[in-house]
Order: sequence, then C-alpha cells, then structure tokens
Amino acid sequence: MKTLDIRNLHVSVEGKEILKGLNLTVNENEIHALMGPNGNGKSTLLAAIMGNPKYVVTEGSITYDGKNLLEMPVNERSIAGLFLAMQYPQEIPGVTNSDFLRAAMNVRNERPVSLFTFIRAMEKTIKDLEMKEDLAHRFLNEGFSGGEKKRNEIVQMEMLKPSLSMLDEVDSGLDVDALKIVAAALNRMHEETGMSMIIVSHYERFYELVKPQFTHVLINGRIVLDGDASLVDRIDKEGYDWIYQEYGLEHEEEQTPARRVTSIGACAVRESVKGMENK
Amino acid sequence: MIPVRVNENLRLSGGYQEYEIDSERDLELTFTAEEDCDVFVRIKNDVNLRVRWFIAHDVKASVLFWNVSGQPVKMDQSADVMRNSDLTMAFGECGAAQTDINAYVALREEGAQSLLSTASLVSTHKNYHLQTVNFAPHTYGDMKNYAVVLNKGVLMIDAVGSIVKGAYRSESHQTSRALSFEEGQKSTILPELLIDENDVQASHAMSIGRMDEDQLYYMMSRGLSVQQCTSLISTGYLMPVTEVLKNESLRQKLKEEMERKIGEICSM
Repeated sequence: MKTLDIRNLHVSVEGKEILKGLNLTVNENEIHALMGPNGNGKSTLLAAIMGNPKYVVTEGSITYDGKNLLEMPVNERSIAGLFLAMQYPQEIPGVTNSDFLRAAMNVRNERPVSLFTFIRAMEKTIKDLEMKEDLAHRFLNEGFSGGEKKRNEIVQMEMLKPSLSMLDEVDSGLDVDALKIVAAALNRMHEETGMSMIIVSHYERFYELVKPQFTHVLINGRIVLDGDASLVDRIDKEGYDWIYQEYGLEHEEEQTPARRVTSIGACAVRESVKGMENK
Repeated sequence: MIPVRVNENLRLSGGYQEYEIDSERDLELTFTAEEDCDVFVRIKNDVNLRVRWFIAHDVKASVLFWNVSGQPVKMDQSADVMRNSDLTMAFGECGAAQTDINAYVALREEGAQSLLSTASLVSTHKNYHLQTVNFAPHTYGDMKNYAVVLNKGVLMIDAVGSIVKGAYRSESHQTSRALSFEEGQKSTILPELLIDENDVQASHAMSIGRMDEDQLYYMMSRGLSVQQCTSLISTGYLMPVTEVLKNESLRQKLKEEMERKIGEICSM
C-alpha cells in the first residue's frame, strides 16, 4: 500500500518559517480535504511535498511508499506517483501540450508509448474534460484562460495516472459546468485506480462533488483539527473563528516587509509619503 | 538534393529545391531568383563559403541554410533585393563547431522587403554580423535572432539596420533573444540602427536571460529531467526558424535533428 507519511515537517520560504511541525498520513484510496484561512501554509505544504526548490524543508520527514521524498529531485517524485495540480500553472511557449505529455509519459514507461496509442489516449482525455480539440497542438498553457489552465492540469493528471494527486485550489477559476467536469474526472480516476487525493479548496461546493473522507484544518503552520466530511460543512457555515477560540489559537499577523526606498528620486519621496499615510 | 562541390552560378527555378554543400575547399556561389522559390541548403562540410544572391523584381524567395558541419564554417552572404521583391534568409545553426556568419542584405529598389533570421544552438563560438540596408524608399527590413546558449557557448550578434538618406517611408526592425540554462555562458548582442532619413520607422528589441525557474519546476513536476526540459524548451525556441519554408516533412525532419543535437550536447 502506497502511503504518504509526513512527520514534524518544518518548511521555510525565503527565510520565513511557514510550516511548524506538521504531521499528516494519507493512505492509498483516501481523499483528504485540507482547509484553513489564507496564508497559513496549505500551498506551502503541497509545494514542499512536490519539491519546489523555493520551499526549504528545515526539519522533519516526508516519505512516500517507504521512499524518502526529501532525497529525490522533483521529477523523480513525479515518477514515484505524485502529481500536483498547481494553483498557477506555468505557460511554456514553444512547447506543445502533446510533445510535453508524450515526453512525460515516456519517462514512466520502459518502452516509449507509440504515437497511435498516445493520440488515442489524448483524444479521449480531451473529450472527457471537454477541452477544445486543438489542445494537443497548442503551446503548453500559453494564452489559455484561467479555467482552461486548470482543466489542462486535469488532462495531464489523467494522462500520467498518478497514485497520489494534490489539488491546489483547482476549483478556482472554473465555472459551474467546468467544476462538474473536473469533479467527474477526479472521481473516475479515484474509482478506477485507487488514486488518493489531497484537495485544497475554500469551497464546500467542490467537496460536495468530490467527497473527502478526512478533513484537516491548517492554522499557523500546523494541523490543529482533524475530522470527517462534516467538518467541511461546519466551516462553510461558521467560518474559522470557533476553531481559534476552541483551541486557543492566536491570529498570527501577516508580516509585511518594511517599505524599502529603492531610489532617491521623486517616486521614492512619493512612496515614503504614501507609507506614512498608510500608518 | 542537388550536391554542390565547385564554384557555380545557379539560376533558381520556381518552387521548392534542396542543395547540399559538401566540399573540402572554399566555395563561391551565385544564386539568381527570377521566380518565386523555396530553397533549402544543407551545409555538410565547408570551410569558407561566399554566396551572392540576386532577387529579381516581383519575386518571393525563401532560403534556409542548415548547418550541421562538424568543422568550423565561415559564411559570407550578400543579397540584392530588387523592386517589390521579398527575400527571407534564415540560418539554422546546430553544429558543434564554430561558425562565423556575415550577412548583408541590400534593399535596392522600391517595395523591396527582407527578413534575416537566425536560430542557433550555441555550445561553442557563434558569431554573427548581420546588416540590412534600405537604399530605396518604401523598403522594409527585419531581423530576428534566437539563440539557446549552452555550456561553454559564446554568442556574439552584431545586428545593424541602416536607412540611407532618401529612403523615405522605409522601415528597419530587429529582435534578438538569447536564452541560457546555467551560469557561465556568455552572450553579446549589439543592436544598431543607423538612420539617415526622417520619415521612417525603426525599432529594436533585445533580451538575454536564463530559463525561468518556475517553468523548469513546472515541467519537472511532470517527471521530466532537467535535460529533457532543456531539450524541449530549446527546440521550441529555435524551431520557428524552419517555418520560412512551407514544407511540413522537412520541418519534422529538422526538428528531430535539432532534438538529437541538443540531446548530444546536453549529455556531454
């Protein structure tokens, strides 16, 4: 059984500690909802699991299927079965979706996938996600609308067949119909392959469509509360304040760096005046 | 594929044609285009090449030089473009040896247009001196240079657009972009505009930069190695140069060739 196991995870971004001793276990076939107010470390957690070099693990461990992920480069984590549907997918001009996906599929297979098999699979996936037919020949995410980019993440997921998918606000930017299409694809993959999921979303509506078995609330860099799907309901109705009160948590102030004067021209004067006005 | 081994004056027939330059000694060639044509020239082996182009009036000519020579190549190209003619001259450089290209395009008569285009995979010294001169009114010159600079690559592009006095309502434009993947490579791009007439339009754009780390992370998160990302991005960056010829099968062949070259160079 493939299990993701996170122990006492501390992660810093640009010298600032975001995660402060986080524990989480995700088994095969499980769907976990990850909730929490903005700026408390949900995206940081997913980026650290995937291996984004900007997120530095300072303490703790992450293993998947018994392997130490922290020793593996990003691409090897992907090959090990991890997938992160990103909040802001990158645009890569000059590289077509099909060239990219074929290369990504080939690194997983001992023998390169034949062009015929690839085209068949790609066509089916494009149809499943109700994308435009020319998707394969367009440059990766270039000129895509927000919703198209999110759906294209799911196209990639369906083609690469990960065993653990992490979805970072994949529902934001999707219209009601697109949301249903994406949810249907996720549920299908979950049923067919036993793919487990960690879903970050702020909206109960999405968790209605893809039902989590477990819900975790991340505040101040730690998971402070675990529950089942009913926890999503309660947060949707009541917000997070009751959690702060019940668990005696402080609202950590978002630290904004001091205004830096970058030049001594008129703009700098104007900026420093503005800074004073803000205070 | 027509082999070229000695000095020749070649009169281009209409349509698509291929030449292969395979010679141990210096060559001097003259191409004359009096009909619309697409020309592919593969440089397999040559040390020193001088080429003269004459594009007669009302002709649209496109030519792509594809250099795969394993030895250093020096090319000296000069073209005269006559009334209402359109010349596109492109260079695809993916050879592992040094290349020096000197290309000069003269827009001689009214309505003449030209595009000088280069795409280089730079793993050693690649030097370009490119110049387009608008000699007549209502002429249009453009240059587009794209380069991927790999380990130990040194790129030098000197691109000059000139508009002489009296060549009113003419345009001279140029864009040069160099992309590198790691530290320690050197790229120099000198964009120059020498304008001696008031009623004209001219522009230049230039960028030299490293590959975006977020893009690299995104691609790697789908399982691709750094080398595979480099290869895909470089191919995407350089292959548009082949679009000057409307030949899909040739384009596919050149793309595979470029990918192979990049693979070889990256694994060195």
